[in-house]
Amino acid sequence: MQQLSQAALSTELIYAFLIIIVSLMIYFATKELYDLTKHKGIQYFRLAFLFFAVAFFFRSFIKIFVFFLEIPKEYGLLINQLLGTGTVFLFMYFSALAIFYLVYSVKHKKWNNKNLTIIIFQLLAIIIGVIVIISKNPYVILAINLLFLTSILFVIFTTHSQRKNKHKSLYVIYILLFVFWILNIFNILIPNFLQFYHLLIYLASISIFLSILYKVLRNIGIK
Amino acid sequence: MTKRHKLEIIKDILEIVQNNRKIKHTPLLRKSNLSSLRFKEYYTELLEKDLIKEIGTNRKETILTNKGQRFLEKYITIVNFIKEFEL
Repeated sequence: MQQLSQAALSTELIYAFLIIIVSLMIYFATKELYDLTKHKGIQYFRLAFLFFAVAFFFRSFIKIFVFFLEIPKEYGLLINQLLGTGTVFLFMYFSALAIFYLVYSVKHKKWNNKNLTIIIFQLLAIIIGVIVIISKNPYVILAINLLFLTSILFVIFTTHSQRKNKHKSLYVIYILLFVFWILNIFNILIPNFLQFYHLLIYLASISIFLSILYKVLRNIGIK
Repeated sequence: MTKRHKLEIIKDILEIVQNNRKIKHTPLLRKSNLSSLRFKEYYTELLEKDLIKEIGTNRKETILTNKGQRFLEKYITIVNFIKEFEL
């Protein structure tokens, strides 16, 4: 992995901090609605943003790890590798779960076997995490994530075309969120990928999360 | 008459309890426009979710809890939120 400058690390940490805060605001702002109703859709929606926050926590952990890569040699290469690999795995695992749960929040009424669906999500998230840490080839990571993105977009488009009460803006936001999420994964796992566009990706990602937060707060009456 | 969705049925039952302050089981069943079986399912769920509670020992009456009151206050918000995010 390439070394980061101190300025780049600071940017990364501010970016991760903002996404974590916005995700947790969405999670806690919807707590009362879930407590009152125990509605499954609200539950999966909230969990998706909790997982986004956890994934971004590990993402910033990876960046800190990359920044201090040269320092911990005294602690041994094995610990160093385990820490790095474990963090990448957790980042990928929670990223995938966040996306799965967001999709499931709009599909849960159609997919009847809830327990089986959750187990499949967990297994897929583990498989994605394992493949990413085993495969050092950036093209394999690229292929897996493009496959992942294509499947999610297919589900989103089919859901959108079947719905009577369509909220076009919601699907546009979700699609942009998934696209930028994948770009974020490339950014962290393949550091040279789109490196000149890092700041643009960060600003776009923050805007998308903020627009979802705005929709949530507007709907629950907090302005 | 269109089919009521689950949250609407819960809201209707809670409103009946609220309007009567306390109500016995049979009139609540009658006013809720549900079959006995479905009413029992909803009634048990509302008790479990702490939206209503029973008072008295012999001929029990049902009253609204604070949480049930809050549900009614937030009902429009809940429905709008679910619609907005298509949950």
